[in-house]
Amino acid sequence: MPFDRPRFLRGRILRNEGRGEIFYRIEAAIPEPVRFVPGQFAMVSGWPGNDPLLPRPLALFRAGGTRGKGKIEFVYKVVGRGTALLSGLHPGDPLSFTLPLGRGFDLGQEGRTYWLVGGGVGFSSVFPAAAVLGRRRAGFEMFLGARTRDHLPPKQWTPGGKEPGRIHLCTEDGTAGFRGRVTEAVLERLRGLSPESVSRISILACGPREMLQEIAAAAGERGVPAQVALENHMACGFGVCWGCVVAVREGEGTAYRRVCREGPVFDAREVVW
Amino acid sequence: MVTPDLSVSLGGLRVKNPVLSASGTFGYGIEFAPFYDISRLGAVVMKGLSLAPTPGNPPGRIVETAAGMLNAIGLQNIGVERFIGDVVPRLEDAGATFVANIYGKTVEEYEAVARRLSEVPSLGAIEVNASCPNVREGGMAFGATPEGIARLTGRVRLCTAKPLWVKLSPNVTDIAGIAKAAEGSGADAVSLINTIVGMAVDHRTRRPELSNVTGGLSGPAIKPVALRMVWEAAKAVRIPVIGIGGIQSGADALEFFLVGASAVQVGTANFRNPRACIDILEGIETFFREERIACLEEYRGGLKEEKTP
Repeated sequence: MPFDRPRFLRGRILRNEGRGEIFYRIEAAIPEPVRFVPGQFAMVSGWPGNDPLLPRPLALFRAGGTRGKGKIEFVYKVVGRGTALLSGLHPGDPLSFTLPLGRGFDLGQEGRTYWLVGGGVGFSSVFPAAAVLGRRRAGFEMFLGARTRDHLPPKQWTPGGKEPGRIHLCTEDGTAGFRGRVTEAVLERLRGLSPESVSRISILACGPREMLQEIAAAAGERGVPAQVALENHMACGFGVCWGCVVAVREGEGTAYRRVCREGPVFDAREVVW
Repeated sequence: MVTPDLSVSLGGLRVKNPVLSASGTFGYGIEFAPFYDISRLGAVVMKGLSLAPTPGNPPGRIVETAAGMLNAIGLQNIGVERFIGDVVPRLEDAGATFVANIYGKTVEEYEAVARRLSEVPSLGAIEVNASCPNVREGGMAFGATPEGIARLTGRVRLCTAKPLWVKLSPNVTDIAGIAKAAEGSGADAVSLINTIVGMAVDHRTRRPELSNVTGGLSGPAIKPVALRMVWEAAKAVRIPVIGIGGIQSGADALEFFLVGASAVQVGTANFRNPRACIDILEGIETFFREERIACLEEYRGGLKEEKTP
């Protein structure tokens, strides 16, 4: 899948809107279009002052544009000082982006049915994969988990939402869809399938670490390949600070790999949870 | 308009301009090739190299603080052999002037790394890391006293004919004395400051934020400390002083020149803006043009210390 070499671009906010006080969607104009692989991310900075100092990693949600005029979109949740600051910015305000970064999902496995699993704001990495698979008319199902109905992504953000049955909603309080955690829904669906059907599944997941760990365990038990998009605090996002490492299996032992460079998408079997 | 001459000699290494990347914030240099031509910099300084590859500290390596950050990476690196085999040819292809930062657990290991790197003809200089706060042995343990610095510098000096820079720790009482000790034992230049030892804790979990508990503070938060220490060191020694600490703009770099620095290294700013070094270089050039300053030496050390009436 094509993607571009990372670039540092200065842009301006076109739109920065909150949805139900939980998710924000920010759109910015940049001087040139970019192409990315679902799962890749950008480092976002450019607000005035030195505090917070570091850029924030956000999954690339959408990108487009034509020569000389690009557009990018991100979805985020306010979790700390950086995202709180971001949520207060207005159209016209400047922002800087280093993008596209990291290794995205491998969507090139022939004859596979992809199961896309998004927990919480993790849908922001999973939706771009759904968009790509939808355009390709490849088979996929999507599992979206949240605490309550209000914590699910707005319907109109969902790619391919016109084809019901492909999307399994899960809420911990039962206000929408399956009552329980998204991992339980995935496990239940797996149990109902023949070994032959299971052997065609490939899982892509993004969400809280505990969720990814459970997905990795469930997939591992049934021999289903799973790719997980990890998160971590980052200083640079492009592989030079070595601050964002996770432990992965290597040979007999373990090694530290950068979430920003060798990840954020890892083979679930590699990760030392 | 005349282009100002920004070239400067850093202890035997002539560089085209005084903007260098700081070790540990620039990877092995080639990571920046997508963002700009790294041969435009005075020099790129490599992430600290040890004799064997080093795994580094467990995760929980960085934490953001007010106008700065703490890191405790623990010198994760690919080791000197892979550096020479894989990285050096790519730096040569890029046309970059490059400097190796070296680190060892023992003086003998520093010597071995210095000896091996001296066999690389294209290597511009060796910077001895006598100041990493995040490893139990080596690093700062050697750099905390004038005697320790003198011993380490003297021993590495005997192993290399390359220009030898010694990177100093701010976690000392008398930086001038430390800088003098490095000069007296054969250093061709000193670079300072490395990070300031700090700590962050979470009041809810009651745990330290870093796996290493303490880490090194960097970023604009440390600039005043760095400026003061560079000023003290520059007054104490005759060898070039390379200023490091919180430099984010051309103006920041110029302040370091005023207190006596011959060049600067840019660190944490690279994380926020991968093109920071270029922005800083262009800021210096613009200022010199506007002020009709012909060369760096004309401006360097020009701090007016007398009180204005």
